[in-house]
Amino acid sequence: MREQAMVLNTNPLQRIPGVAVMLVLLCVVFSLMTPGFLTVPNISNVLVQSTILLMLALPMTLIIMTEGLDLSMGAVLTLTSLIVAIVALATGSLLLGLLAALAVGIVFGTINGWLVAVVGIPPFVATLGTLGMAQGLSLIVSDGQSVVGMPAAVRGVYSGTLGGVPLPIVLGLGSYLAFHGLLYHTRFGTYIFALGGNREALKFAGISARRLLILVYALGGAMVGLAGLLMTARMNSGHPTAGLGLEFDAIAAVAVGGTSFERGNGWLLGTLLGVVTVGVLRNGLNLLALPSSIQVASVGLLVIAALFVDGLRSRS
Amino acid sequence: MTQLAQSKAAVSIVQAAPPLFELRGISKEFPGVKALDDVSFSVWPGEVHMLLGENGAGKSSLMKVLCGAYRADHGSFHYNGETVEIASPADAQKLGIAVIFQEFSLVPYLDIAQNIFLGREPAGRVPGTIDRKKILADAKRVLDSIGFDIDPAIRIEKLGVAQQQMVEIAKAISQNARILVMDEPTAALSDRETELLFALIARLKADGVAIIYISHRMAEVFSLGDRITVLRDGRRIDEVKPGAVSSDDLVRMMVGRSVDMSYPRTFAESPGKVMLEVRGLSSASGIAGIDLVVRQGEIVGLCGLVGSGRTEVVRAIFGADKATAGQILFDGQEKSGGPDEAARLGLALIPESRKAEGLALIRSVGDNLIVSALRKIFPRGFFDQGKSRQVANDLIRQLRIVTPSDKQAVGLLSGGNQQKVVIGKWLAAGAKLFIFDEPTRGIDVGAKAEIFALIDRLVADGAAALMISSEQAEICHVCDRAYVMCDGRIAGELARHELSEEKIVKLGMHHA
Amino acid sequence: MTDISKPITGGRMLLSDEMIQVFYRLLAAFLICAALTILTNSFFSLGNILNVLRQASLLFFIASGLTLVVLTGGLDLSIGANVAISACIAGTVIHQTGSPTLGVLTGIGVGGAVGMLNGVMVTALRIPSFIATYGMLWVLHGITYWYMGGETMHGFPAGFRQIGSGYFLGLPIPVYLLLVFLAIGTIFAQRTTWGQEIYAIGANPVAARLSGIPVARRLLLVYTVSGAMAGLASIIFLARLNSAEADIGESLTLPAIAAVLIGGTSLFGGLGTVFGTFVGALILTLVLNGMNLLSVNASWQPLVTGVIVILAVWLDMKTRRRAA
Repeated sequence: MREQAMVLNTNPLQRIPGVAVMLVLLCVVFSLMTPGFLTVPNISNVLVQSTILLMLALPMTLIIMTEGLDLSMGAVLTLTSLIVAIVALATGSLLLGLLAALAVGIVFGTINGWLVAVVGIPPFVATLGTLGMAQGLSLIVSDGQSVVGMPAAVRGVYSGTLGGVPLPIVLGLGSYLAFHGLLYHTRFGTYIFALGGNREALKFAGISARRLLILVYALGGAMVGLAGLLMTARMNSGHPTAGLGLEFDAIAAVAVGGTSFERGNGWLLGTLLGVVTVGVLRNGLNLLALPSSIQVASVGLLVIAALFVDGLRSRS
Repeated sequence: MTQLAQSKAAVSIVQAAPPLFELRGISKEFPGVKALDDVSFSVWPGEVHMLLGENGAGKSSLMKVLCGAYRADHGSFHYNGETVEIASPADAQKLGIAVIFQEFSLVPYLDIAQNIFLGREPAGRVPGTIDRKKILADAKRVLDSIGFDIDPAIRIEKLGVAQQQMVEIAKAISQNARILVMDEPTAALSDRETELLFALIARLKADGVAIIYISHRMAEVFSLGDRITVLRDGRRIDEVKPGAVSSDDLVRMMVGRSVDMSYPRTFAESPGKVMLEVRGLSSASGIAGIDLVVRQGEIVGLCGLVGSGRTEVVRAIFGADKATAGQILFDGQEKSGGPDEAARLGLALIPESRKAEGLALIRSVGDNLIVSALRKIFPRGFFDQGKSRQVANDLIRQLRIVTPSDKQAVGLLSGGNQQKVVIGKWLAAGAKLFIFDEPTRGIDVGAKAEIFALIDRLVADGAAALMISSEQAEICHVCDRAYVMCDGRIAGELARHELSEEKIVKLGMHHA
Repeated sequence: MTDISKPITGGRMLLSDEMIQVFYRLLAAFLICAALTILTNSFFSLGNILNVLRQASLLFFIASGLTLVVLTGGLDLSIGANVAISACIAGTVIHQTGSPTLGVLTGIGVGGAVGMLNGVMVTALRIPSFIATYGMLWVLHGITYWYMGGETMHGFPAGFRQIGSGYFLGLPIPVYLLLVFLAIGTIFAQRTTWGQEIYAIGANPVAARLSGIPVARRLLLVYTVSGAMAGLASIIFLARLNSAEADIGESLTLPAIAAVLIGGTSLFGGLGTVFGTFVGALILTLVLNGMNLLSVNASWQPLVTGVIVILAVWLDMKTRRRAA
């Protein structure tokens, strides 16, 4: 006899992910309400602007899958962006700037991972502490001032194109594909599922959960370093509050994308859609001439709603 | 792989070859309790060896020793006649011993193949990657070898319990397990799924795998087992062949525990008014149609196997789980709310896990003793340290709780004294119905007698008690009546003169 | 089989242990004072000490309500944003009605309402407290910025400003308020049955529920009180600064959490005191004041606060492991 997997959702409508429905609805509503929304330049704009968020949301997905959280991402992004600007300004080399930013990001990620995995501090408090540290360091290295006068190459990272496609989109897509490969096609990715889903099974298989956790947070730090480069390129300067609060948009994208805060059920494509959803929401509200404060508030509501739905699902 | 194809024949050639695996004189002691006492046990390839015993007879301890989770204090292990050591789970795994626990060790959001080979994934061309084709093919081969026809790319979350169990077995087989330990594998299976599992077991036997099978179901003990070992009080009582005994014989071997029966109990001449009446109670946790009555001055037992729904019944009565149907009448009044309402009305729950559910371990003995009585002692809402300490110290004296002071953290007390604190908390609250869930679990003999004396005094003073216990001897000794549960329902009620360990075990067993 | 009688280790007593913890912290505060007196000329002056006390009072108001939340094993990350929205709305009310009393009531009311919403999310919707209040942080943040539209409110009645910057018998008014709320907080936590129940919930929520404590109702109360205290703090800030801006509370959350944790309240619930939080607020203020006097750039403050938070949690884990 052939065993059939029990299909839990028998209604085909229920199997369409909520995030896709939400994205389509938002697009329809904004298209109807503002003429400028559904245009090629605007859509391209939304996607370009979403790349920095994507670079945070991808590793955030992995971190949340391990039942963790990284509240320090926005503050570390600010710091790495400043580092890129300062090093580029001092040496004229974009590459050196990127390397320095990656290093700083990885150091912060490793500290987060160490605090969570080895010291055992709950992730939200550990990363709240490093948030403060990164915020302080940003003020110290910049002396509270913007870093301006970037070499031309810096701006080129944001405005350049590769085969007609804007460079940020290329970088974003590249990151997505890399994370997709990492999560679904490597041992590392397999073990991340086990970290949240059944840590006991990992122990039986003789794999160190601590080392894995540190790696996951460090990888997050590296991505924040890379995102720092884009951030600096986008503003053509370094600014001591540039990335503050962006971790919240990342958490929002992950939550809306259907990754569960319990049980290690991650969905990377959902995160991609979640990032675009947050981007569309902000862009649409912007086109409707609503202030950015309303955007922030609506993203907050989005997260609470998504978590509520997630909670309902995990209870049923 | 084809040796010893006929399993029944295996038993007859036993004497010629050494067993595949043998334990000799295994003992394991925990402070105050001898979990295993000089237990010897063996399995031959292609044999199903049944392990039978009441709750707490030592089956799970034996299993944990086997898989390396516990280290035996005394005794030796022999593999194919050679002495070996099992000091860690890795040792057990190397010897080819695999345990299929009731709680599965599977990752829900990985697919079948990834779960089977977790930690042993075949490497792909790019370093760090997994050879997807190979892992699926390997998984398919393992699944085929146990006759489980399913796509290995399906995620575990989509599988039913029986299918997950199959995957567990496949995982064990893929690690070259030659000795499979199964802990009540049919507990959560439907009849059809059970048939599939039995077919698989027959197939594994034919392949020469040795199976140690723990069960509570008489029917499968006889239909599957090649040999049966009965444990009681951590000791091996006997090893028998299924053809040579009846189910009544087995029950007799399992019961008759040597429990100290000097607990005092003064039975009331006639029971008082009805304190608790439950009609048709059901809850989402799997109990249905529960009817029971507890009268003033009575101790009523609630027995049955672990997992038969006893704890779920008392949780529903107390309001900790929401009832989906039925009625609860307490002292003639209908109750439908949560634990706060229950406590206010005069119900008390002494839960099975003191540490997880009964006590705030980091708080003091005094704080724990008065936590349920705050509203009663301080009706105006203002808390007075002196008054609270006075109440606490009265209880400490009255219950003879051994503690340096009422300010000692309760987590530092012994199990028996912790249990007294939990009971004391409800005495302070003035409860009228005490529900005990395994009140003597993990408590030494002296403290047990004290707890029972306490319960006796409570009901003599006009309270009532409903008591869950896995120790049938205790139930028989102290209870006025007892209900026996099986599969989420009440299987029967036994009056005082009918109470015997054999009757309880028989009623609680699955006879399907 | 594992919960068999654990050996009884000595006569270590929990409550006196808690007092020793507070004593250590007071000692630390004194040592910092002594060090600063030696290292700087300006620390040991009446003006500076009153300044430290006033700063510590402001921090304490926010942290005192938060202490109750942390005692239940939760966290409220929205308090800074709550201060901002309460201050801005209360400021508007004072401007429009000219009544400080109405303003004070509005501030506390708005803060309490926000706290109650947090409580509903945590109890009825069962969202983990740190993430629910983090979402609330950004919702409030957005609403406040939208409401203020980049404007700043100036010029409140002189009588109202006394609450924040006035003196009575040589001491700043906030210090008197501090004493009042320290007393109220301590009485609430130590001398009411509700306070006892809050400790019980934090120590073991499952056991608390099975002991008949109405856990959801108490949590709702605690989050509401925490919000109301943020509302009260917003009034004092308003009176002190004599202006209201949308970013008024932004940098307050981390120091408030730091004060609670330095004060010895366990992040895992059930242990700690409101008085400890006062000492925590004092220590943090002394450290930041000392850095200021030693001419350390103010940019170092969030960094130091972050390190302190992590160290405090680490210390908490070390101490708590012994008891549980």
